[in-house]
Amino acid sequence: MTTSEVHPRADADARMALIELAHCVEPADAVVGRLVQRAGPLEVVDRIRRGGAGKRLGEGLRARLADSGAPSAEARATAIGARIVTRVDREWPRQLHDLGAAAPFAIWVLGAADLRLTLLRSVAMVGARACTGYGELIARTWSAALAECSWTVVSGGAFGIDAAAHRGALAADGVTACILAGGVDMPYPRAHEALLARIADEGLLVSESPLGIEVRRQRFLSRNRLIAALTRATVVVEAAERSGTMATARAATEMARPLMAVPGPVTSPASAGCHRMIGEGEAALVTSADDIMGLLDLGRSQASTNPAPRANRDALSSAERRLLDAFPARGAATAERLVSSSGLPASAVWAGVGVLASAGWITEDPAGWRLVRDRPPPQPS
Amino acid sequence: MALAQVHGVVLSGVQGALVRVEVEVASGLPSVGVVGLPDASVSESRWRARSAIGAIGAAWPNQRVTINLSPAEVRKIGAGLDLPIAVGVLLAHGQLPGADVSGTAFIGELGLDGRLRRTRGALAGALAARAMGLSRVVVPTECAGEVARVSGVGVVLARDLAQVVSVLLGADPGDQPSAAALEEDRGSDPVDLADVRGHDHARFALEVAAAGGHHVAMVGPPGVGKTMLAERLPGLLPDLDDDDALDVAAIHAVAGVRRPPNAFHRPPFEAPHHSASAASVLGSVHGSRVAPGAVTLAHRGLLFLDEAPEFARPVLEGLRQPLESGRLRLSRSGWSGSLPARFQLVVAANPCPCGLRIGAGRGCSCPPAALRRYSARLSGPLLDRIDVRLVVTRPTGAELASTREQESSVAVRERVRAARERSRRRLDGLPWQANAEVPAGELRRRWPLPGPPAALLRDAELRGGNLRGPDRVLRMSWTLADLAGRAAPDREDVARALSLRGGAVLP
Repeated sequence: MTTSEVHPRADADARMALIELAHCVEPADAVVGRLVQRAGPLEVVDRIRRGGAGKRLGEGLRARLADSGAPSAEARATAIGARIVTRVDREWPRQLHDLGAAAPFAIWVLGAADLRLTLLRSVAMVGARACTGYGELIARTWSAALAECSWTVVSGGAFGIDAAAHRGALAADGVTACILAGGVDMPYPRAHEALLARIADEGLLVSESPLGIEVRRQRFLSRNRLIAALTRATVVVEAAERSGTMATARAATEMARPLMAVPGPVTSPASAGCHRMIGEGEAALVTSADDIMGLLDLGRSQASTNPAPRANRDALSSAERRLLDAFPARGAATAERLVSSSGLPASAVWAGVGVLASAGWITEDPAGWRLVRDRPPPQPS
Repeated sequence: MALAQVHGVVLSGVQGALVRVEVEVASGLPSVGVVGLPDASVSESRWRARSAIGAIGAAWPNQRVTINLSPAEVRKIGAGLDLPIAVGVLLAHGQLPGADVSGTAFIGELGLDGRLRRTRGALAGALAARAMGLSRVVVPTECAGEVARVSGVGVVLARDLAQVVSVLLGADPGDQPSAAALEEDRGSDPVDLADVRGHDHARFALEVAAAGGHHVAMVGPPGVGKTMLAERLPGLLPDLDDDDALDVAAIHAVAGVRRPPNAFHRPPFEAPHHSASAASVLGSVHGSRVAPGAVTLAHRGLLFLDEAPEFARPVLEGLRQPLESGRLRLSRSGWSGSLPARFQLVVAANPCPCGLRIGAGRGCSCPPAALRRYSARLSGPLLDRIDVRLVVTRPTGAELASTREQESSVAVRERVRAARERSRRRLDGLPWQANAEVPAGELRRRWPLPGPPAALLRDAELRGGNLRGPDRVLRMSWTLADLAGRAAPDREDVARALSLRGGAVLP
């Protein structure tokens, strides 16, 4: 099935009218949007066709409607494996009604998953293109953790945080949706062509721009409002003071969607926007993927997925516990000595010291491996 | 008026470049002129060629001789053009009736008595001739060992100009080189892993490094065995294929470095001293002659920097480019171009300048500033590229006295070969040859880890906070999976890779 299921007959005309509107009206045009709310899509399209329906529905829209190729839009979408979902379709995500008059009329979707169901449990993860290594790390690992708990991670496919969020979800075999500013057949940025193709394979590419529309500045802003509207909450990983990310955050606040921000070093300009939002109470401070899920799922425990500085002893395997017991109380042991004192095979000792060291139990120095006393492990530079 | 064209070869960097030698014999006052950007030694060729032609009983034309070397913009250096010039003169003067030289390149310096002398870059020249589609190359007999393994182009060895003339006139060339005469004894390395007592974890680290092509950093107190271990890494690397081995041999011949004949297929091992200059490590240009540095001599092999933080800053900085691109660019007035330099790097360092910072660090008297300077030398771009970080500890007396039979280099090499085979199959059609070369982002994207190993890596990542650390662990995990014959790393592979992070010793 390439086109989404349409309600019986009467809606077929409304559906076509909505597709035509999506072709000729700029996204987030609230004036036309209000008109459609009052008069219905059929009536508005009819008025545009007839002309003379006031300044807003004047010649410009009429010409665009005539040139748009809307009647063949459905066929063109089908040809590339995409589909069009309109307000009257069953697959339409109801949360878009929160956009009011600025809601899109139709959405182009590339990807097998059901748009509405996929976005029921979704979180937007957005942030700076010029992100730091820290931001990228957080975006990738948290997004993977969210995906593992079957949350859909939604972002904009841009460089930096967006891409890291998509990649994290894909790495965890999760579903991720990318909301594009141009048509779903116009991958942007070009450098992410392969990433976007993979998202289309395993998740969803979504856009309110018809096929063949190239990205334009204005469309980024309207795309950002769509990201906020489609998701249950928006997480800002890194954002400079004045940035497109802040526009997404503002849109989320306007729709009363939960907004969360990840803190960074106070000296980092890439986190300045996050810090201001947290400071002014606009965004909740989150320090782990579990924080995010905890704020969204009331029943969920608030335990943090951020590993403690030292892993719980119970979390270790029996071989790892045995190795830990083989450590001298004081001083260091070489890896070879641990093989003889633990009685484990060498390869199990190599694996064990790797796990224990990364779990914060032991540390390595030129004399060998030693137990970490009650001090926290040394922070790497 | 008569004209002849003969192919010769000159060196450009460490590679041969084909040169067309055009000789015109025309009426006029007897004279000899050489044009086409010759350096002094090429200009002198005419006098050697003239005497050699006289010595074999042939006649130098008593006319005006013009010798043109093309392409004109390539600077010609070395005496290797003596032979093509002499052959060209004889041809143009009609003394080699019926000789066909169109598919032959001539390489060789002539003595005044007509004898052919050993010529620098004979192998590079033969490879260049082969690459340009020539079918035959004539080289001095003295270079027999160097060119013995060239295939795909006929090699004719000649003692003197007289023999070249007789071969061109159809005589049998006589004794020819054969690779069979140089059969390698590939089994025994002078240094073998079997001789190492203790150091089991280090042996494991070396095996991983060899199998994945990972660069290695070793930290440990002086005298603990870092050099001994590093010297054994080449023995674990698989044999070079014929083309790589020929490239390596050509580079070493150009540099005038003799390698033992049984080392032909073995990866080279270069260990410059820490007092070495940038010129000797990175290469230098004298006039238009290029002297390849240790990084180029280590091409397809190993570069070992003992006491790495003691190397001069320009040397360490200069390693960045070859580590990134596998080539080193040299731009000097006499020559500019790039030299091959794709090597596996092994650096060794003491834990501090005095070397006593072990355990609680009580014998160490290094001031904090010196400590910081010392470790800063290695950090940054250089250390970022090094995956395997090994802390070398002192073996106990019992370990040293142990008579337990240790695995030999050859046995480990076989596992390494199988692992490389596996990774090559996975990387087939992609621009990387070994796990160490694959960017971590590509690894994550193309081959996502299954759940448990991915979770372990993520925990380590979040606890460690070190941004590049997990990338290195991920690459090593794949190498461990290749060594174990698994399709993808499991949790154990990631765990063992985590033991090669160098802890807090290496930032």
